[in-house]
Amino acid sequence: MAFSKRYLETYRRDEMVGHKLLTPEERVRLLKPYLPSPPPRASKRADSKTREKKLRLGLRHFLKKQLYLLIYSIIHTVFSLYMKIRQAYHAVTNRFNSIYYHHHRTPELIQGDVKGLTRLPDHISVILTLEDEGRGGAGLERLINEAADIAAWCASAGIPMLSIYEKTGILKGYVPETHRAVSQKLAAYFGPQFPSLSVEGPHIPVIESHVSSRAGQAGDGSSKHLSILLLSAEDGRDSIVDLTKTLTEMSQRFKVAPADICIEVVDTELREIVMGEPDLLVLFSPHVELAGYPPWQVRLTEIFHVQDNRG
Amino acid sequence: MSDLYLSRVRNWFLSSPPAEWVLSQLHEVFIGSLKQGPIPRHVAFIMDGNRRYAKSHKIETIEGHHLGFEALAGMLEVCFKCGVEVVTIYAFSVENFNRPQYEVDGLMQLAKLKMEQLVQHGSLLERYGAGVRVLGQRELLSPDVLEVFDRVARLTKDNNNHILNICFPYTSRAEITSAVRSTIEEYTTTPRPHNTPFSQSRIAQKIQAKQGNKTESLSSVREASPPPPSPRSDDPDGSVSSSATLYQEDSPKSGTPTPQVTIYPNAENITAETIDSHMYTAGCPPLDLYIRTSGVERLSDFMLWQCHQDTQIFFLKCLWPEFGLWDFLPVLVEWQWRQKQKEREKPSQRVKQA
Repeated sequence: MAFSKRYLETYRRDEMVGHKLLTPEERVRLLKPYLPSPPPRASKRADSKTREKKLRLGLRHFLKKQLYLLIYSIIHTVFSLYMKIRQAYHAVTNRFNSIYYHHHRTPELIQGDVKGLTRLPDHISVILTLEDEGRGGAGLERLINEAADIAAWCASAGIPMLSIYEKTGILKGYVPETHRAVSQKLAAYFGPQFPSLSVEGPHIPVIESHVSSRAGQAGDGSSKHLSILLLSAEDGRDSIVDLTKTLTEMSQRFKVAPADICIEVVDTELREIVMGEPDLLVLFSPHVELAGYPPWQVRLTEIFHVQDNRG
Repeated sequence: MSDLYLSRVRNWFLSSPPAEWVLSQLHEVFIGSLKQGPIPRHVAFIMDGNRRYAKSHKIETIEGHHLGFEALAGMLEVCFKCGVEVVTIYAFSVENFNRPQYEVDGLMQLAKLKMEQLVQHGSLLERYGAGVRVLGQRELLSPDVLEVFDRVARLTKDNNNHILNICFPYTSRAEITSAVRSTIEEYTTTPRPHNTPFSQSRIAQKIQAKQGNKTESLSSVREASPPPPSPRSDDPDGSVSSSATLYQEDSPKSGTPTPQVTIYPNAENITAETIDSHMYTAGCPPLDLYIRTSGVERLSDFMLWQCHQDTQIFFLKCLWPEFGLWDFLPVLVEWQWRQKQKEREKPSQRVKQA
């Protein structure tokens, strides 16, 4: 409802004939009520005559400002009340759902959940956040636990590729531990014949599952495989910066011309070093913020988040 | 039938002068009030949903785009009145060239027409310090459209108070690639300012003279001062060997007055900020708010580099032509609310660390 009816009618009539109806001056006049008050530079004509008038204007201005401040604080009080209610509501419904739809660590139940879907993503990506920084132990344990739960869910749903983004990169320092935790979780879900697992990250050697051979002996373990990719903030912007550095050096030695650098070159390199495009990005934060997630790769990724979710 | 009747009565009432007056006053009051809090400096919009709107209202697609433009005008009014410095809009994606020809042509005509109109209001734009920039792969535009765009950009290039970035034909990957490319160009064309009093040729000569009797000292010298053409020594191609060969190639030449060695700036100095300064949005404040309408939860190759850090992203259900102040206000209030929360968290973290 920003524009009045009269304005819209005139504007549309003018537009119909390719803006030939109105002259620029008429158009400005039509637009006048919608223009903000011009910046102070234009109205810098301080006459002694109008000082009195200005004083009154100043008072009016002051009152106006007080009114605005009042309304601003009212809006924010109401809004934060609304947010609190909304968060509480979501917390309750999420809790209810998590109990009602709990998968009881059975892959069959999860498979049943995804059976109705026509298409499954090949590559899911999640953003996890390390909580209570500084105290280390508890936060890390929780993070690994979450990662293991998600990994087990993906394995049950039949999704072959999972990338876990965590800003600080602390998981990258604990790859063997992560691997062990995920394996244990998979064993808890699947029993003895759990899928093979590989955990890797950019610049981190792959850790393959030790038990894959045992699963292979059992017969059908080889058909299922889950690979986990650990990412951190340095795989985002920094990887593009590193690529630029390398390309610059090559270019300085005339190994590559700047004109040859196209989207495909950058894409293949980043795909090779970091990862391809995930199909689905799941956020667990209360609102959508990417926190340094690799920018090149999120191009067409569907972003899923639950409003006001916590942890 | 009664439904239609009711909506007609409602429309009649809302467009009656007193109701309009009240609404516009409300509008002013809300904007003035929100201005009391923090205001995003840079807002980006993906104007999605024009076609779906046209379809659902049974009008021509291009009509939908025209209505979308009206929504944009309303939005710009709100943003700039609130005090947003930069608004970036996704007007046309490179992918959109795949749409039906008549639609592409229609969009081009629309953009051209609006720009031509803008050109007529140079003085007005200057008074408000309003600038228009066109970002994207210009080479994909037809010359007549490009000419009008350039005219607007030239006309308003000194106006910096409020900037409207129009991304027309744009994809973020192309932007990142072009930023990478121009960074490389910068680092390979401008030689490093080199003002050391030491002459390289003289040093080389001295060393060559010594070469006859003392080989051990030479190797240590070579290690201590790596030759200029390869600025990095821990390079996968093994620059130690290449530098040695280069050195030997140079040494016979050192008799001639000036051995031509180009010295480039060190590639190690490239940082994210360097690349940032080569983006189309260089010089704009960091993106604070990213809004996509029409309920699609994807970034669709828009402002990836700019939005992936701490930008708040909002996906809204409404289609773009319906998007107005009353859809934008809640977003703005939520943004302010979260911003205040962040402010509150920051000091508490500092206390924890101390």
